[in-house]
This record gives sequence, C-alpha cells and structure tokens, in this order.
Amino acid sequence: MRKGHHIGLVPAYLLAGLVLIYASYILPRLLPGDFVTAMYSSSHVALTADQEDQIRAHYSHGEGFSRFLVNLLTLNWGYSYAFLTPVSGLILGALPWTLLLLGSAHAISMFFGFIAGVEAAWRRGGYLEKAGVGCMTVLEGMPEIGTGVALLLVFALYLEWFPPSGAETAYAMSSPLGRIWDVARHLVLPLSTLVLAYFPGNFLLTRASMVMVLRAQFVQTARAKGLPPARVRYAHAARNALLPMVTRFGLRIAFMITGALVVENIYSYPGLGTLLFNAIAMRDLPLIQGIVLFSSLLVLFINLALEYVYGWIDPRVDYAY
Amino acid sequence: MSTVGLTHGWIMHINIRHKLGRDPWFVIGMILGSVLILLVLLGPPLTPYEPHDMSFRPLSPPSAEHWLGVNDGGMDIFSELLVGMRNTMGFGLLAGFVSLILGVAIGLAAAWFGGVPDQICMRLADILLAVPAVMILIMTAALFRPAPMTLALILSIMLWPTTAKGIRAQALVVKNRLHIHAAKQMGGSGSYIVVKHLLPELFPLYIIGFATKARMAMFMEASLAFLGLFDPSRKSLGIMISYALKYYYLDIWWNWLLPPVFLLTLLIMTVTFLAIGLEKVFDPRLKEAL
Repeated sequence: MRKGHHIGLVPAYLLAGLVLIYASYILPRLLPGDFVTAMYSSSHVALTADQEDQIRAHYSHGEGFSRFLVNLLTLNWGYSYAFLTPVSGLILGALPWTLLLLGSAHAISMFFGFIAGVEAAWRRGGYLEKAGVGCMTVLEGMPEIGTGVALLLVFALYLEWFPPSGAETAYAMSSPLGRIWDVARHLVLPLSTLVLAYFPGNFLLTRASMVMVLRAQFVQTARAKGLPPARVRYAHAARNALLPMVTRFGLRIAFMITGALVVENIYSYPGLGTLLFNAIAMRDLPLIQGIVLFSSLLVLFINLALEYVYGWIDPRVDYAY
Repeated sequence: MSTVGLTHGWIMHINIRHKLGRDPWFVIGMILGSVLILLVLLGPPLTPYEPHDMSFRPLSPPSAEHWLGVNDGGMDIFSELLVGMRNTMGFGLLAGFVSLILGVAIGLAAAWFGGVPDQICMRLADILLAVPAVMILIMTAALFRPAPMTLALILSIMLWPTTAKGIRAQALVVKNRLHIHAAKQMGGSGSYIVVKHLLPELFPLYIIGFATKARMAMFMEASLAFLGLFDPSRKSLGIMISYALKYYYLDIWWNWLLPPVFLLTLLIMTVTFLAIGLEKVFDPRLKEAL
C-alpha cells in the first residue's frame, strides 16, 4: 500500500510533464499567419532577414515531437535573438540567483514561522500572541508588490542602507569575503520582501494546527508525565503540526512563483523572473518559452519530491490513499 | 464544528450572522470592501478625465485639476487609478466566480458519482495542482495576446481543483447523512438530491472558495500586468506600478507610484480579511490554500 501510492503518483507527474512539454512544442506552431514578423515588428530587436528566416524555420519546419524532446534533453533550447546567446546558457546563468533568493526566503520563513507558530499556540490567549496574530493577518493581506515597493522606497531610496537593484556590484574587484558581503547586502531587500510574504502564512497555519494538536490526549499524557514543557512542545506536539505546512507549500507554489517574479523585477535581481520580464519586453519568444517550460518542469519536480516528504513526515498520508 | 453549521440550516444561520458580525477581520473586510465597491461603482461619473487622454503636461505635480498629477505619458493619474482598479477587480471577480462554478460542479459530481468519474476528476485535479498556473498564463499571454477575459477564464480552469477537493470531501460527509438517505428512500432522483440538498448545504464553502480564488486572481492580474503581459493600453494597477517604478528615484513616487501600490494592497487585504473571517466562522478546520 505504501509503495503503491508513490508509484501511482510518478506516472501522473510524468504525464503532467509530458503535457507541458507537448503544449510548449505545439502552441507556437498553432499561431496563425506569420507571427514572426508580427511579433518582431513591435519589438526593439532588429532582426536581419537571415535571422528572421532562422527563427521562422525554428518554429515552422516539420521538426517532430521526438526531435523536440531530444533537443530539450541536450540543452538545445533555441537561440535568444535579444541577447544573442543560446537560451540554455541564459537560463542556467540566472537560475543560481533565483535559487539563492527563493531558497533562503523559504528556509527562513518556514523555520522561523514554524517556531513562532508553535510558541504562539503554546501561549494562546496572551497579549503577545493576540498582537502577533493580528500583525501577521495584516501582513498576510499584503501583496509582494506592495511590500516590495515600500521597502525599496524606505531602505534604498530614503535611508540608502541597501542597494536598490542588482545582485552584486558590477566589475567590483574584491576579495572572496568582500564579494560575499556584497552579495548579501544586495540580497537583503528582495529577501525581506519574500520573507514578509511567506512568513505570516507559515506562522498562522502552524499556530492553527498546533492549537488543535495541543488539545489531543497524548499531549496531556506527556504533560502529566512531568516532561519539560519544551520537550512536550517540540518532541511530542509540534511534529504533528508540520504536515499542514508542507501541504500548504505545495498548494501555494504557483502563487509564490508569481510573487517571486514580481519581487525580482522590483529589485532588478538577475534571476529567472527578471530574465522573463526582459524576454517579454523584447518579445524574445524562444527565451520566454524556455523559461516557462524549464520552471514549470522544476515546479513539477518539487511537487513530486514533496509527495515523498509527506509520506516521510506523516505515515498516515500513505494509508489515506 | 463545521458539520453543525452545515446541517442545521437556518437555525444556525442567525448564529452565524451574529458570529460574522463579531469577527473583527470580517467586519474590517466588509467596511473596506464596501468602500472599494463604491469607488468602482461611482468610478465612471467620478473619473475626471478620459484615462487615455494624453493631452496634459507630462509629469506635472498634483493640482486642483489633476488630483494625483499627470504621468510621463501625459495622462491623468487619478483617472487611470479608478479605471485600473475596476479592471483588476473585474478580472478577479470573474476568475473567482468561474473557478467556483467549475469547482462546485466537479466536486459535487465526483462525490455523488464516485468510482471512475471520481478517480478521473481527482487525478486531473492533482495534475493541475502540480502545474504552476502562472507559467501557463504567461505562455498563452506571450504567444496569443488574448483578451483579459480569456486569460481570466484560462486562470479559472487552473484554479478549480482546490475548491473541488474541499467540496468533494464535505459532500462525501453530507451524502451519508440520514436525511439524504430518507430523500433517496422517498424516490428522490439524483439530480433532485444534489440540487435540493447537497448544493445548498455546502453553501459556506462556496463563499470561502470564492474569496480565496478572487484574491488569487486579483494578485495574478496585477502581477501579470506588472510583467507586461497585458495590452499596455489597458489600464491596470499592475501596469501603473510597473511604469511608475521606472521613475521611483524622482520626486514623483508619492503621487504616482504610491497610490496604485496602496490601492492594490488595500484590495488584496480586503479580500484576505473577508476570506479569513469567513473561514474562521464557518469552519476552523478547513484550511484552504489561502
């Protein structure tokens, strides 16, 4: 039963992945008329007749789906006419920045959101807890665009504490340590925006599920045994509040990506979001297509990995299927 | 908790209205929401200028004629703001409504028929949940440049699974209640029972689902507009922020950049508060993807 559930999921995800790849293959070919001319006539990129023929050939010649798949696997994702580089190079160059930003934002907001949620549920009814829940609910309603612009205006424009854009100072010749400091300084504002967006949800959810868990009888037993409160909280109760947070992560991925795209753009952070924005602005179709497909597959993969995490955190999940 | 609220129809109804009236988030959300709705409804007569009119002096500061000044293209910012909010809100309400209908229909069908249809619907929901909706929207928007309405419909096709799953789970509980069995014994047809019993009894789930979906859709509209995926001549809060952000270091950020940011934040916050209030009152255990 346990194994059966996971093995049953892999085909579903493979199917979803194939559907995405096929959509990405077929959609540009469904476009009516000469879309290359139509699209590039309104863009800033001037194509030579030769390049225009090339891109038209890229989309219209009878390259089969199998060929498309092989190209995909060999990182042959097309050529960006706006940046005059292969698409794969651009994407793989921007990916580390996005991973750094999103990874640290999630790590911070999940860890601290969880701890804060557990502690809040433990101190239920106190003034501090009530104020915390109030503040977090207000923050939960703030979109990333709002907090991002606000932080930019206050800390980059008015106080000038942090740089307003980029991920590192260009052409700065400095020691490795200096470089880390430089990258960290550039990371602060976008990271804070994302943490402000992710933290409240993690906090509120952990608190809510922890409040339910604390009512359970095994928690009373643990208390009655005379265990230290911190041990009751974390070793006995909190692990049961972990699963909803992971579930929520999977449900919110699409939402979070949208927010991350916007935040990267506000701070011109050189990740996938800014790359996508530039590609859209310059109507660079192969690049847009590459980023969309790559990040969708990445999300799919993360979701599949999460399915395994659920089973690992809470064996009951497997029996539910 | 929820089961009581869901079954004992209108007796609980009074209680719930009372509880909603006492929930601070719901009350704040209602007040803000009424103000915003009023702004949208009164928008057309209130809009001082045609928002596409480019005949004013670009970047002029706020004055008696132009309450929030004029943008770089010579358009009145206050008029842009009103029209932009109407577009953002309309997009969100449409996508929220359509995804709600899809979710309710599919969730009820899956719960009622069970078996193979149920399996198909729920696997489909799993797949859709795993695919990032934004990416699909970006791809279609970049390739086909569809009307905003079309994008709203595509988004609702991506958003129904969470609602459908919630509705299905609750419908399965209600389905095995005595009064449903009684209705079956009396010879009530499937459609009769679904429409007369299941549909109204799950009502609280609909408004919660609608609020969360509308919130998501408004957020997406603003973000996609910000990224430049909509027709640039269509006014939207997202596009205004995107344009104004280019000049944020000038002294015009407070009359050009701040108003759309503030309004968008207010809009999203309102819907969030309503959703949180409803969720707390109707079902504390039902945690939808907020």
